[in-house]
Amino acid sequence: MSEQNPQTDPPLLQVKGLETHFPIRKGLLRRQVGSVKAVDGVTFDIPRGKTLGLVGESGCGKTTVGRSLLRLVEPTGGEVLFDNHAVRKENARSLRSLRRRMQIVFQDPYGSLNPRMKIRSILEEGLILHRLGERSARLEQMEQALERTGLSPAVLERYPHEFSGGQRQRIAIARALVLKPEFLVLDEPVSALDVSIQAQVINLLKELKQELGLTYLFISHDLSVVEYLADNVAVMYLGQIVESAEAGQLCQQPLHPYTLALFSAVPSVEVKNRRQRIVLAGDVPSPSRPPAGCRFHPRCPLAETVCREVEPPQVDLAGHRFHCHVASRELERCGGDAAKTSVVMQAAITAATSDSTEPHSAVSQRMSLDHQ
Amino acid sequence: MAAPLLEIKDLVTVFHTSDGRLPAVDGVSLSIERGQTLGLVGESGCGKSVTAMSTLRLVSSPGRIESGSIMFTTEGESIDLVTTPEKQLRQVRGGRIGMIFQEPMTSLNPVFTIGNQIAEAVQLHRKVSRSEARSRALEMLHLVRLADPEQRLDAYPHQLSGGMRQRVMIAIALACEPDLIIADEPTTALDVTIQAQILELLDDLRSRLGTAILLITHDLGVVAETCDDVAVMYAGRIVEQASAVELFSRPLHPYTIGLLQARPNVDARDSGPLETIPGMVPPPQDFPSGCRFHPRCSHAREPQCNVEPPSLREVSPGHFVRCHFAEEINS
Repeated sequence: MSEQNPQTDPPLLQVKGLETHFPIRKGLLRRQVGSVKAVDGVTFDIPRGKTLGLVGESGCGKTTVGRSLLRLVEPTGGEVLFDNHAVRKENARSLRSLRRRMQIVFQDPYGSLNPRMKIRSILEEGLILHRLGERSARLEQMEQALERTGLSPAVLERYPHEFSGGQRQRIAIARALVLKPEFLVLDEPVSALDVSIQAQVINLLKELKQELGLTYLFISHDLSVVEYLADNVAVMYLGQIVESAEAGQLCQQPLHPYTLALFSAVPSVEVKNRRQRIVLAGDVPSPSRPPAGCRFHPRCPLAETVCREVEPPQVDLAGHRFHCHVASRELERCGGDAAKTSVVMQAAITAATSDSTEPHSAVSQRMSLDHQ
Repeated sequence: MAAPLLEIKDLVTVFHTSDGRLPAVDGVSLSIERGQTLGLVGESGCGKSVTAMSTLRLVSSPGRIESGSIMFTTEGESIDLVTTPEKQLRQVRGGRIGMIFQEPMTSLNPVFTIGNQIAEAVQLHRKVSRSEARSRALEMLHLVRLADPEQRLDAYPHQLSGGMRQRVMIAIALACEPDLIIADEPTTALDVTIQAQILELLDDLRSRLGTAILLITHDLGVVAETCDDVAVMYAGRIVEQASAVELFSRPLHPYTIGLLQARPNVDARDSGPLETIPGMVPPPQDFPSGCRFHPRCSHAREPQCNVEPPSLREVSPGHFVRCHFAEEINS
């Protein structure tokens, strides 16, 4: 996101202030009484050939971002530029031709393939819809897509129930590839798979990206998968991006307390150095009534008065962007040294979470705040 | 030495289906000491959940425990959970052994308040009045650190979040002060920050109450962070067993090594593709001959591996491996 070379093309995908609010209707007249702000002002770019990893917990809006980009749900505000086409302004016909270039792979390979259709019909549907090629040309394209995903053309005459989870996900990827897209939204594509199968699909996605020059938006709750696949990572919380940076930078020097907690919560197999785990109190609040100020403050161990009142502005440190009052103050104190600031933040949070000698009351206090 | 709290010996659980006799669990032996956490890891279909269900004899038809023994020892008294009469077993289930299932959404009854559901567990096993059971329920909600326990007592499951429901499940499991908790993927449906809360809670309760935990999971990371001992299952059998420190620092079975290497992380990013285990877990109707892992194993050698089933041997003190060539792989 950061290293935009001015000589190259503009980013393939530019998202500015994207908002997707779902109305809450009540009563006989279905009057709107509020809205669920699933996505509330999200901005990012994805340069051609790069992968942006979007991480966050359930309900943070990451899936809605993916769907809004393709207008599978209608965004309510903001701008989406795909290869300089304003996706939100396209009419039905031109949107269809754009969607050929932007495809999506869903999380659940059991739910996303129609059990009554043969693999042939599943793959062919898109080609027919977009009027691409004659029967024989279509067959060739389908066979190519299957081969790319490591399946034999013989699967065309079979039904989804005959395949395992990993194979189904390959079929779902083949269905996306058959239209020769440039951009893929991968919505938790490996979450439903076992570890050994997960690695196979991850390798496949990486290979495809290199061979076909694809651009990915990789949505996942699994940090380790995102770190491995993505060039840049954005962390979402309650409909907003709280921190984003180049993948290595974000993993080694996270600055936002939520990112720090998220990283420390990922179980590691290194038994010897069991890290000090940061355990956040409470659950994610409802996106229909997001907390005032910084949205993370009810769960943040470092929250101060300013956090409860003022929404933190974005700080951009050479492409490493974050929204946090405390981190930006510490960054200033450390003379703009992200590495040092990250260590300071980590220490402060560890101290703040292990300090509460009476965890019970502290926890319940914060949790009750969440649910008010 | 006193008998361990739970000792499973050569457990065989089979399913009789139209595909024939399917041994989902095929000669599993495990033991858990008081206050310890044992992790049982494996991928879907390896038989880890069936092992857990067999322990409480909850496997339903067409499944059947065919042989083996499950000795459960409390207060100097041992009973075999495989042969003990149903009536006595009911005292053990939910009483001496608590169970936590993966899906807190479906394992709680949607039409009863959570206070009712915890009190029900207490009243089934203790001679207490309704009001005593209710106050015990409240006490349990405090113990599992649910926010606003007084109000939540009269809440229905749908009013709670996933993490809160799992806390309620733990409260039910702990209500009768069991000696053992069987937790089948207790955090799989939860987000990482909530998972961290629940794991911390389980560990805290174990150290305070001395409850032993059999933790069943597919996540090696969860095991590494919470368990004292680990058993890795593949195709109905235990393929490696050791203390957590030993297993993760010196894994010996090719399957365990493969699982560990298949985990993506940022350090592996620039070192080419992830190591994978080719193929997939075989279903019970086509378990391969010899070593069940040999078709997927890069160390497999004929004629040993495809003919001779390896036994679970002690390669170093306390470290058991089911592989013909464990020593070579290690060196």
